[in-house]
Amino acid sequence: MSDWREFDQNPVSHSAAHHLTTIGDLHDEVGYARVSDVARHLGITRGSVSVTLKGLRHRGLVVEDEHKHLSLSVEGQRIAQGIRTKRILIQALFRDVLGVPDEIAEQDACKIEHLISDMTAEAAGSLLEGLEDLSEDQRIRSLVESARSSSDSSSPFPDTATQQLANRLLKKAAAIESEDS
Amino acid sequence: MNPKITREETIARLNALLAEELEASIRYLHLGSMVQGIDRLIVQKILQENHEETVEHAQQVSEKILQLGGNPSPRIQLNLDGRRYSGQQAIAEALLFEQAALDGYRDLLEQVDSSGDVVLEEFARQQVAVESEHVSQLQMLLVESPVGDQ
Repeated sequence: MSDWREFDQNPVSHSAAHHLTTIGDLHDEVGYARVSDVARHLGITRGSVSVTLKGLRHRGLVVEDEHKHLSLSVEGQRIAQGIRTKRILIQALFRDVLGVPDEIAEQDACKIEHLISDMTAEAAGSLLEGLEDLSEDQRIRSLVESARSSSDSSSPFPDTATQQLANRLLKKAAAIESEDS
Repeated sequence: MNPKITREETIARLNALLAEELEASIRYLHLGSMVQGIDRLIVQKILQENHEETVEHAQQVSEKILQLGGNPSPRIQLNLDGRRYSGQQAIAEALLFEQAALDGYRDLLEQVDSSGDVVLEEFARQQVAVESEHVSQLQMLLVESPVGDQ
């Protein structure tokens, strides 16, 4: 088995994935992101953030303006969006199909969101989409059929349909959470 | 105390600065081990001196936290790889976390400025001065300083 070597070929590390998605989230929430904001959000030091950002800037994924405000480049946005979507899909897959509690599903999704291939994420999306409005029996049949087929999509991840599905799943998870509380 | 910042917030900020200093001290040690090239011995000496200073700073910050009635409880998460550095790369990396520490002390100074806590205010001011000096020294080593441009 030499699959572990593929970990080195991932576009971003676990830490870099969190930095990218955090910058994106901060932009969505407050309209800007500084090193201190990213550090506070991730619960790490500014020094660590600065060292990680150096690599991300060098790769053209993060841009810093003259006021030291951070933003994602187009490629950075694409990667962050892809990671977010994968997290939502995998979390839903673990929760809705495997029956794992949502909290554990979220933690496990976070561990692998940046590691899984686009093809696997798309397959998870197709499966979840097919299961959305089915009864228990239909779900089982659909799962078997889905396992026999494979995704042949070659468009960049996430495509619009997958993105829309992720948004629906996110709303569903929020509804479950508010019902529980 | 300045109504802008409570004692608990001050302690939290100092703990964040303590984490910065402790992480920096470990990073300096690591960089010193990983630096290579013709200027290795010179850069190692600079990194060692800075390591010792950051340890001193960490001790000072810990003292401040204790004086305020808090507990030094820094959150540190470091994953250092086995990458080798040239002297210039090592100094450039050190500049990143020194600048981060300077920014942290500047924020603290802004918060405690005119707070009435003269000792804490003076401490923050002194740390800004010392860290600014560090940053300038590192910038000069990287020829990033405006010195000679005028």
